[in-house]
Amino acid sequence: MSTTTLDRKSIRNSVGPGPAFHRVLNSEFIKFRTLMSTLILLASTALVMVGFAALAAWGTGQFAEQATQDPQAAAAIAAQGGDLAVTIPTSGIAFAQLILGSLGVLLMSSEFTTGMARSTFAAVPRRLSPLLAKLIVVVVSAFLLTAVSTYIAGLVSLPIVDNYGLKLDLGSSQSIKLLLVNSIYVAAVAAIGMALGTIIRNSAGGIMSLVGIFFVLPIAFQLIPGDFFKEASKYLPTNTLNPMTAVEHVPDTLEAWQAALVLGAWVVVPVALAMILLKKRDV
Amino acid sequence: MIEAKGLTKVYGEKTAVGGVSFTVQAGRVTGFLGPNGAGKSTTMRMIMGLDAPTSGSVTVNGEPFAQHKAPLREIGALLDAKAVHTSRTAYNHLLAMAATHSIPKSRVREVIEMTGLGDVAKKKVKGFSLGMGQRLGIAAALLGDPQTIILDEPVNGLDPEGVVWVRNLVKYLASEGRTVFLSSHLMSEMALTADHLIVIGRGRIIADAPIAEIITGKGHARTRVRTDQPERLMQLLAGTGVSVEVHERELLEVSGLDPRGIARAALDNQVMLYELTPLQASLEEAYMELTKDEVEYHSHITTGASVPAQAGGK
Repeated sequence: MSTTTLDRKSIRNSVGPGPAFHRVLNSEFIKFRTLMSTLILLASTALVMVGFAALAAWGTGQFAEQATQDPQAAAAIAAQGGDLAVTIPTSGIAFAQLILGSLGVLLMSSEFTTGMARSTFAAVPRRLSPLLAKLIVVVVSAFLLTAVSTYIAGLVSLPIVDNYGLKLDLGSSQSIKLLLVNSIYVAAVAAIGMALGTIIRNSAGGIMSLVGIFFVLPIAFQLIPGDFFKEASKYLPTNTLNPMTAVEHVPDTLEAWQAALVLGAWVVVPVALAMILLKKRDV
Repeated sequence: MIEAKGLTKVYGEKTAVGGVSFTVQAGRVTGFLGPNGAGKSTTMRMIMGLDAPTSGSVTVNGEPFAQHKAPLREIGALLDAKAVHTSRTAYNHLLAMAATHSIPKSRVREVIEMTGLGDVAKKKVKGFSLGMGQRLGIAAALLGDPQTIILDEPVNGLDPEGVVWVRNLVKYLASEGRTVFLSSHLMSEMALTADHLIVIGRGRIIADAPIAEIITGKGHARTRVRTDQPERLMQLLAGTGVSVEVHERELLEVSGLDPRGIARAALDNQVMLYELTPLQASLEEAYMELTKDEVEYHSHITTGASVPAQAGGK
């Protein structure tokens, strides 16, 4: 009897480190960077951001050139504060949010569709820790990728707008504000995507819900008559971006701080629901 | 050691596992045998904390799975050969799992070599055969050098060489004093691999005994007898608990009486025997016998309910 106790004790002592959070984070980062599909989505985001910025630079240049002959166009430019070029680097943001939001969905839904979840949660039975680690990985990479892509998009646009005699200052406070707020916004969309992927556990369903929230609802809310939907439309996540980046408050939109809070709620509520369901449901 | 107490899992109206209790001891290979859909995989998922039991509990080495500080180092499991993202390479899959417990890369390479995946480790799992998938699952189970190993249908899809390899591997792991719990619906495989058998059918434990005991269990031992006076012998042997099957004119199979008893009866009555061979039931037969009882048990409950007066009748 005494020998068995002794044996068991020696086995216990030899048991090494367990899944502390930094190790789970490292594991999730390995998973993130070892999937070709993830890398393709990241690369296409950068490509779309830069490509759209170049197109927008060209289009804006054409428009400005016309304005020199057309007093009506000139008036339109003046109405926008005169700074036409500043939003060029973030022209592709609608597509970036779709791609990186889908990436958020896929990173979690693929765990369930492939069966990987059984390996993941057998290694780390405290299930919130892989979810948090995944959230950190996707949020940080979405933020960094959007920020870097926006900056590169700006650099690529510079010679084009220069050609039309327009001025684009990437170091201006409005340029920096646009870069940061758009990057935070895309990171938030990625987090919402991951929450949807955790709740729905299905790639197609998760991406469709994401598209529903970000592309279908805004249009539907505009089409449905009545003040309620007009008012509610302000609280959709897509419509929080403009108030947060506006130079001055535009009437009949949310204040910047209100918009930030609304976007925050759009992240916190689905993520909290995802956490509860992940803990409760069988894998 | 794995200990299940009243473990129950109900899905809607279907009871997948109905209050099973069993203990899987260290130092031997325990087989978990039952037909497909009997509740083996559900039980194993509950052991691994992936499915929450509807009621009851299960502990591994004295603690619920999720309470262990380093789960991969305590319990390694192959629950499903497809518990992998198939677009990742085998090496990267193992590397990501190892990272959660700071298991070194050298150990990852070690289990890859041990499971014979050396040539395909850098290839995507998508292109793996079922057998290679099983080997990868076994590699993942061994990653943390765990004290307890759970393998759900490990020989599924393996080639004959792989089957022998798994058989030797689990025996070796058990000989090192580890707890090995192995499920299969292949009785022949269990007969060769397991030391102890837990038989499950319709979510209930039907038998929990050393494998030898299940094979030679009561009523299963038979004796083949050849005699030129079969009718006379049958008359002599007729009695409580003895049954005789006539296979050919002079060939009988006797159960319920050992060879010595048969020989004694024949000698006393001057009946000549020209063959007397003890037969050992195969695990298949023992299993059929066990599950037959299970079926009868269920139908008895239903008839018993409608005809209560039957009690005591024969």
